[in-house]
Amino acid sequence: MSRWRFWSRRPTADDVAQCHEAGRVLQEYLDGVLDPAAAARVRKHLEACRRCGLEATIYDEIKKSLARRPSAAEPAAVERLRRFAISLAEADGRGTGAPVR
Amino acid sequence: MVPEVDFLLRVAHTLVPRAADAEDLVQDTLLRAYQGIASFDGAHPRAWLLTIMRNAEMNRTRRRRPPLLDDPEEVATVVPVGEASDPETLVVGPVFDAVVEDALGDLPVDARTIVQLVDVEGLTYAEASEALGVPLGTVMSRLHRARARIRGRLTAAGVAPRGKKAAT
Repeated sequence: MSRWRFWSRRPTADDVAQCHEAGRVLQEYLDGVLDPAAAARVRKHLEACRRCGLEATIYDEIKKSLARRPSAAEPAAVERLRRFAISLAEADGRGTGAPVR
Repeated sequence: MVPEVDFLLRVAHTLVPRAADAEDLVQDTLLRAYQGIASFDGAHPRAWLLTIMRNAEMNRTRRRRPPLLDDPEEVATVVPVGEASDPETLVVGPVFDAVVEDALGDLPVDARTIVQLVDVEGLTYAEASEALGVPLGTVMSRLHRARARIRGRLTAAGVAPRGKKAAT
């Protein structure tokens, strides 16, 4: 099966270079940490390249699947610790919001 | 500090295995934070608290730093077993989630911890770096390689097409 089936035309050397670059920064792009110009280049490439676009979709779905996992922090434990933090602040005579400078 | 309690407990659960120990660690962290609050300049409270937690955890267990910088990278344990039925098929659903869950559990502990911190608990790269006491670049490279391993397991399970060679 042709490896070029993901392109509607025969890819150029520049296309291949763009695939390599997009693959190199793909996860940073999906994590939203690329600068705007780089993110725009990657986004444009993902729209044009089906293979890279599919790869981005897969990694995005992995992130979403992981994000769906329940947090390990049990509400009862959070509440106990909040009350503990409040008791520390009250014992010290400080507020319970941001630390005092 | 009260608004950060939920965040601290989520991080603690990735640092220590038992729920009771995680709660103790946060309690210890809060106590140290209030004791040392005079030295805090008010900027970046999360980073400050994560540093305190990391030090508290090290003191509690009296062990060396988490082996993120020490462990050699392990070879992936899963090799794709064959072609996906359709090269462009991605099957998202309960099976996808189950494979991801399974793959997460099979990651080396250092990689699994970073995935849990960033992808499950929602920490930024910088926060995970602070929580674990490792460089930002290490967090990024380990996280990306861990996700690539999960991706490989999806191919092996037939719920995702075979990927192109990953660039890291």
